[in-house]
Amino acid sequence: MSETRAQSPERLHQDFHAVWGNPTGWRALSIVNHTSIGLRFMLTGTVFFLIGGLLAMLIRAQLARPELPLIDHQTYNQLFTLHGSVMMFLFAVPMVEGLAVYLIPKMLGARDLVFPRLSAFGYWCYLFGGTILVSSLALGLAPNGGWFMYTPLSSAAHSPGVNADFWLIGITFVEISSVAGGVELAVSILRSRAPGMSLDRMPLFAWYMLVTSLMIVFGFPPLILGSILLELERAAGFAFFDVARGGDPLLWQHLFWLFGHPEVYIIFLPAAGIVSTLLPVFARRPLVGYRWLVLAVIGTGFLSFGLWVHHMFTVGIPLLGQAFFSAASMLVAVPTGIQVFAWLATLWTGRPLFNVPMLWLVGFLVIFVAGGLTGVMLALVPFDWQVHDSHFVVAHMHYVLVGGMLFPLIAGLYYWLPHFSGRLPSERLGRWGFWLTFVGFNATFLVMHWTGLLGMPRRVYTYPAGLGWALPNLISSVGSFVMAMGVAMVLLDIGLHFRFGRRAGDNPWQADTLEWATALPPAAYNFVSLPACTSRHPLWENPALGQSIAEGRHGLPTIDHGRRETWGSDPLSGQVREIIHLPGNSWLPLYAALVLTVVCLSLLNGAYALAGVAALATLGILLRWSWVNGAHPLAAPDARTRPGDPPLHSRTFDGPGLWGMGTTLLANGVLFFSLIFAWFYLWTVAPNWQPPARSPLPGLALLLDGLLLGAIVLGFRWLVRRLRRGNHRRLEGALWMLAALGLLQAAGLSWVLAATPLAPTASAHDALIAVTLGYLLLHCALAPLFTALQAWRVRLGLVGERAPYEPAVVLQWWDYCLLTFWASYFALVLFPRGIGA
Amino acid sequence: MLLAGCQGPQSALDPAGPAAQAAAWLWWGMFAWFGLVLLLVVFLWLLALRRAPRHYTPEQARRLGRRWIIAGGVLLPGFSILVLLAFGIPLGLRMLPLPLDGPPPLRIEVTGHQWWWAVRYPETGVVTANQLILPVGRPVDVEVASADVIHAFWVPRLGGKLDMLPGRRATLRLQADRAGRYRGQCAEFCGAQHAHMALAVEALETPAFEAWQAARRTASPIAPEHAAAVEAFRPYCGECHRVAGVSDGRRAPDLSDVGARPSLGAGTLAREEGAMRRWLREHQRLKPHNGMPRHDHLPEASLDAIAAWLETLAP
Amino acid sequence: MRPGHPLQLALGLIVWSLWLVAVYAGLSLGCLLARPGDGLPATWLNGLLGLFTLLTAAWLFGCAWWLWRAPPPALAARRFVVRVGAAVHLLAALATLFVGLPILTLPPCL
Repeated sequence: MSETRAQSPERLHQDFHAVWGNPTGWRALSIVNHTSIGLRFMLTGTVFFLIGGLLAMLIRAQLARPELPLIDHQTYNQLFTLHGSVMMFLFAVPMVEGLAVYLIPKMLGARDLVFPRLSAFGYWCYLFGGTILVSSLALGLAPNGGWFMYTPLSSAAHSPGVNADFWLIGITFVEISSVAGGVELAVSILRSRAPGMSLDRMPLFAWYMLVTSLMIVFGFPPLILGSILLELERAAGFAFFDVARGGDPLLWQHLFWLFGHPEVYIIFLPAAGIVSTLLPVFARRPLVGYRWLVLAVIGTGFLSFGLWVHHMFTVGIPLLGQAFFSAASMLVAVPTGIQVFAWLATLWTGRPLFNVPMLWLVGFLVIFVAGGLTGVMLALVPFDWQVHDSHFVVAHMHYVLVGGMLFPLIAGLYYWLPHFSGRLPSERLGRWGFWLTFVGFNATFLVMHWTGLLGMPRRVYTYPAGLGWALPNLISSVGSFVMAMGVAMVLLDIGLHFRFGRRAGDNPWQADTLEWATALPPAAYNFVSLPACTSRHPLWENPALGQSIAEGRHGLPTIDHGRRETWGSDPLSGQVREIIHLPGNSWLPLYAALVLTVVCLSLLNGAYALAGVAALATLGILLRWSWVNGAHPLAAPDARTRPGDPPLHSRTFDGPGLWGMGTTLLANGVLFFSLIFAWFYLWTVAPNWQPPARSPLPGLALLLDGLLLGAIVLGFRWLVRRLRRGNHRRLEGALWMLAALGLLQAAGLSWVLAATPLAPTASAHDALIAVTLGYLLLHCALAPLFTALQAWRVRLGLVGERAPYEPAVVLQWWDYCLLTFWASYFALVLFPRGIGA
Repeated sequence: MLLAGCQGPQSALDPAGPAAQAAAWLWWGMFAWFGLVLLLVVFLWLLALRRAPRHYTPEQARRLGRRWIIAGGVLLPGFSILVLLAFGIPLGLRMLPLPLDGPPPLRIEVTGHQWWWAVRYPETGVVTANQLILPVGRPVDVEVASADVIHAFWVPRLGGKLDMLPGRRATLRLQADRAGRYRGQCAEFCGAQHAHMALAVEALETPAFEAWQAARRTASPIAPEHAAAVEAFRPYCGECHRVAGVSDGRRAPDLSDVGARPSLGAGTLAREEGAMRRWLREHQRLKPHNGMPRHDHLPEASLDAIAAWLETLAP
Repeated sequence: MRPGHPLQLALGLIVWSLWLVAVYAGLSLGCLLARPGDGLPATWLNGLLGLFTLLTAAWLFGCAWWLWRAPPPALAARRFVVRVGAAVHLLAALATLFVGLPILTLPPCL
């Protein structure tokens, strides 16, 4: 695969630039390249961080003395709600995803992520959703029910204004971006690694991001579902969380924390990945215990889903039930301990350098370990009953999040600065920034443990004198301003270095991972030629790798075909399986996000007709997006590759889109099963749940409709199997027929929905049936649409024996429809009959 | 110094009952042990950074690493959490309403409202608001519920907290070992005035408690000079407030013994000279958004008369 | 599944998650449908949950043992998966036992 090119490196770079280069001016909005998108994510994240920090300063100012009249209760409630929401949803998650979007392809030796348009779409959703949320503050309409939005406080009865809608709609919009990022990173890590980069040679940061991405895929959908249900309850009067109508406010808490706890680890794990990347470089020694760390990362990922109930220890769940989650919460100490001691052993056996990033890592260790230990304390039920919802928890949580995420992040930013700018930051300003932040942070939050133990609850906008809270609060407030100065110093340092920093040479830290084999700052395509990977430390093994890459001595060094390409590799062994061809710059992601913004704004203003139209427009844009793929003239019409190279992915049965669809459906499936969980949950525990004596659903009609769906899926499967064997006779006609049958099935389902006498505003029972049927209908209606488009593509010659790949992707959708249909049938029709008997 | 820093009317570190005592012990035990662990880890980390580097072959590094990881990453946390679980979980039983061998516990119903507490003693029918009076040395089962959003009942010096959920009842077992005044506060964010939802708690010796109950079983007689105030109160304030023998409103705090309470507005305004008059005039400034309308349209004289009468409601 | 399948990196902990959901749901349903008496920990519900916990842990230990003893596959990446997979199963087994401990001492429905 590797063959020395006669062309000069400069010429080669020019040719690559012609295909990969970023447009300037307003056309830059169409960029899909991961380097630009990653930087945009991080820049935007920094802006939101500053906004969130400003809110925190206001909060601390108000709490500095007892009964200060600085900020009234309404504003204060908006401030703390937005501080939490902005920091969690608009700073922490997008920031680490942005860093990963920037780094992952470079670390894996790839030229881009596998779905570049999805990265851009994710960024725009994040920007617009975040802007909607933050703009509510300027309008004085910011959400004021806490970042956890507990019902019934957030219900229409108790929060009649538009404030809560801003939260539900804005955050859901941003979550689309997070899930998109999660899908994209997971598939890219599994499918686009350098040749030979088997699972056991992957940089640890990629392991951390793989687990994090999958956690996002599993963790966010419950909250998305919860937000949809709550918004339906608020806007359309459906009953889900209202006790009087058979709902339960605890359902919201389960859905929220099912997301909310993994969220903490979604933020922490990438940061720990940064630590595991930096430490070996500065200790000048490979990380000790690679397998242990992989075990710890996987373990943390799973355990973090098994402890959401520890946020609900005070709601009156049986003690034994609480004890399960208490024990599970404590267990997280084990994988965390493994990581801490693996890092320690690495330092112990290495020859550590003590510079600014290392300083931040030491700060991370002190603060994070302290936060982890108070976390174990909180996991203990009787102690949690005492300090839950007090300032002790506020202190703990900031130790974990600031110590566990912000400190490693800043260490990482310092470390990768030469990558962003080609320059090195100043040592002196960096040290000042660190010490101010470190001291200020501890002054603020160490004391706050004490405030909490003295009985001060969270989320109070003022407090009386005489309870012993005045002094610790004053110390916290002063400390927070010191910390703010430290952060300002860091930002100043980073800002100044772009202008005054020393030029960094190649690989300035003598690091081991492939991202340092690019030019500094890198070109959009990262590598002119794609190197094979023979160890965990490619650059320590071969320090001159960057040189030979730039000379085009490795894989895929040609660009005369005009395609953006990277390797598609085996998820386990990293062996090359195909060439992934990537789409170029596109306006579609921006348009799709803009139209979605219209959807959100119309929903906020109650303009439901407009929202519907805009939603259809979004669908249209997304379909256009999927149209420009595969053998389309704007994608890869010419499938010729160099002799010896594998085929293009769209000419096989094995592209990343197959994995992307699978992962997306996984996320979708979590959302669906959260819905089914809600059904069973309310059925068993809602105090006023009253199922009717006979289910209102026409069981027989639903059964027949499901059988028709099964027949269609069997037909589609048969078609794809035939195609796999190279037989594409009458493919188009068969697809048209399946689309027509699918339309019939969807029509049957909508008849069921219309014919069932449901009163979703009167009972949670009917509301859940209505939502489940609506969900099924949406999916079953899209399936024939996708199928018809495939038929059309067959007619145009875009799909067929040469490009057989897309029907296999659509088949997954059909399978998904079938699975959810029968799961719903079981839950809605069979289960009530079984119980009733 | 340290102990003085732990005291306070709402301090979890100044326990006055078995449940709070257990939580405080747990805290001090965990603080000591985890403090040591933190110091150890930070010390080792700094030592690793500071000491003169030694040469390790990859094999030596691997073996040393495995030892560190197993000892520090598996055994140390594993041992800690096992001990914690073994000691900690049984302590939780102290706060559960387990069946008792002796006489049954006293039952008290506490209902959270935005932003005040309704308190009822089901055995005697006594009703009060924003204050909880307990007998010393007798277990009390506090049965919590909510009338609107989620609140949380929390008296840190007596025990942990329990959420008050609409549509559900839950029970918390408390006991005060010493007579005295304690303070409780809503711990779950419940809207605009979450900060002003305090509960005055007082533990009385049994005879005093019995006397307190007895005094509230009969309505206070109305002195002739307050007859006009009562007439002004009944059709207007009485819509929402109950005063035994006068009105039967249920939407707002029961005022039958308001003259004997330590504060107004659920801890917003301390009871001092003229507090009642001030509250009736300025309550929307002192506790904005509270459920009581402004009384600006009532004549000053009428407000003063009502305030003077309410002050006398101290059985 | 042959030793070395990438799914083995997650399978043990997937089983652990399912076990956790099952005991929590079983506890809720047990208390709802046939609430055993308060007070004593030794109810039939504790017995049932405890037995289920032991069986799950035993199965997980068995899987860990099987992976540990399996002949090492030729491909290095598969050997890695086998080793880490065995540890994941072991962790899952220990986690099952640890989280299940309270079943021994606590009354189920209080």
